Amino acid sequence: MTAMTVPAPLTARRAPLPRLMRSELRMMLRRPRTLIGLGLLALVPVVAGIGIAIATDANSDEPMGQGLETLVAGNGLLLPVFALVVSLNMLLPLTGAMLAADALAGETAHGTLRNLLTAPVGRARLLAVKAFGVATVSLLATLLMAVTGTIAGILLLGGEGMLTSSGTQLPFLDGVGRVLLTVVLVTVQVWALAAVALAVSAWTEHPLIVVVVSLGLVIVSGVLSVIPALDWLDPVLITTSWQSVSDVVRDPLPTGSITEGLLRAACYIVIGYSLALSRILTRDG
Amino acid sequence: MSGVSEGTVAAPAAAVPPAARTRGLRKVYRGTVAVDSVDLEVPTGAVLGMLGPNGSGKTTTIRMLLGLVTPTAGEVELLGQKMPDGAALALPEVGALVEGPGFHPFLSGRENLMRVAAAEPLLASARIPGAVADALERVGLTRAAGRRYRGYSLGMKQRLGLASALLVPRRFVILDEPTNGLDPAGTREVRAVIADLHAAGTTVLVSSHLLAEVEATCTHVAVLNQGTVVAQGELAALLEAGSANLLVTTPEVTRAVEALRDHRIPARAVPDGLRVDLTATTAPQVVETLVHAGVPVHEVRRQRTGLEDLFARLTEDTNVIEDAALDDLATLIPEDAR
Repeated sequence: MTAMTVPAPLTARRAPLPRLMRSELRMMLRRPRTLIGLGLLALVPVVAGIGIAIATDANSDEPMGQGLETLVAGNGLLLPVFALVVSLNMLLPLTGAMLAADALAGETAHGTLRNLLTAPVGRARLLAVKAFGVATVSLLATLLMAVTGTIAGILLLGGEGMLTSSGTQLPFLDGVGRVLLTVVLVTVQVWALAAVALAVSAWTEHPLIVVVVSLGLVIVSGVLSVIPALDWLDPVLITTSWQSVSDVVRDPLPTGSITEGLLRAACYIVIGYSLALSRILTRDG
Repeated sequence: MSGVSEGTVAAPAAAVPPAARTRGLRKVYRGTVAVDSVDLEVPTGAVLGMLGPNGSGKTTTIRMLLGLVTPTAGEVELLGQKMPDGAALALPEVGALVEGPGFHPFLSGRENLMRVAAAEPLLASARIPGAVADALERVGLTRAAGRRYRGYSLGMKQRLGLASALLVPRRFVILDEPTNGLDPAGTREVRAVIADLHAAGTTVLVSSHLLAEVEATCTHVAVLNQGTVVAQGELAALLEAGSANLLVTTPEVTRAVEALRDHRIPARAVPDGLRVDLTATTAPQVVETLVHAGVPVHEVRRQRTGLEDLFARLTEDTNVIEDAALDDLATLIPEDAR
């Protein structure tokens, strides 16, 4: 470093990380489309609950069929699980992709990212703050669905406990535990997709591209997983563990498939954030 | 046309290191050379106006100064720190408005500034609301602070961008086209802000294509054309070097010219007066000579090259074709039709 005769030596100071995180969350939760998205997601279990309540009332004499939908009837705590598992197919990945798209590509397009870069917020810290924001709001979305789902389920379908898909009956508190476990598993899967989306987001300044690529990944994975000749691909497909999340209503809990799902998601998270970091450190802002 | 020429005009040797310095700066975007061999120096305490036609590399140079863009070749020093590696040291002391204001449309002006303030390393959390209010006051946005940015006029957006550069007292403020979209009153206010910063000892780099603005506010000038610096130095020195003439307004031109010739001062009659060559004499001598000779002198002023002339001369290469085309057009139009 060269000798300086400037008035006072410069010191490397950084804005406190919690302050940056608060600011990020506040901004995200003021964005109209985030709020609308959260509101619509919260309605999903309510609408599903009303639908099931009407359907079971009309067909109360008929014998129940197989599958999660029929198990829900009379078991309110299954409603949030059902809503979360169904939403993981498209709605929640869409939400994660949208949040990630706004986080970097959207901010670049608005010219707001360079305000942060010139403040300066270090580039690695910037990614950490963005990842925190996307992860927190994704968690908020699933938690919100669990809450509205549980309330709607108990009110509409009644809830003394939880009937598992293995045929056993869990007490109420254990049932709540299973709902929370569903929230964790679904959220981690959304984080995995959001990590990939954030990597794309670091690469482009068009938020639409992020959403298209992320949903494209989900759709292609889904298609590949149903082609029997390509079964050998299944272990690396992001959607493989999405189907097995409904295992949480089995008794006893199949820890093997749950751990596998978490590990697969963790791999995607590591890969996604590595790509995002390598890009954000070198990109021209 | 002599004196200042293409190349650099040496600035007086400064005791303090420059606020910013680049050496051999070059940036290539996908095969297009945006900036090439830029050796820019922003002396500490100066107000440097960066002039250049559209696409001359002003913004790219500024982006490299701020570490937003990594140069293809060359070095950047900002407040003595090599960029972009020294960003954490230098940037907290630098306020910048680059490439127009960038804010969230769904947040109000105040909320947008709060967000920028949250990222400012030099701002303690407790001081943020006060700093935001002060910055809004300084750019005259206090009354519109609660409105959403989406509904702001171009001028208000520009003011908010300026406010974000002024959130913290800085050593160096970089303003890229700060008066874009501002009305004359707004332009005057920006001038006042720049003057305040200068008075407080802050170094200012302001890029513009408005020559009058630069002439009114800057102590130094750097002229860019086609990605390179074609001239830089003190504004007065650059303007002075181009001409050394005194314009004298007098009704008695013939007597004045004779009086001056008797003292071997070359002078030439022009409408309303005469133009005196100052290469061999000084302005007070000329006036003294004229007054002694009994010539009524109504007005004496130094003829300046004017930034406009200088700018046109330095950047004319690109405009030659256009001018030639215009001349062609002029000859095509019959005299009486014009």
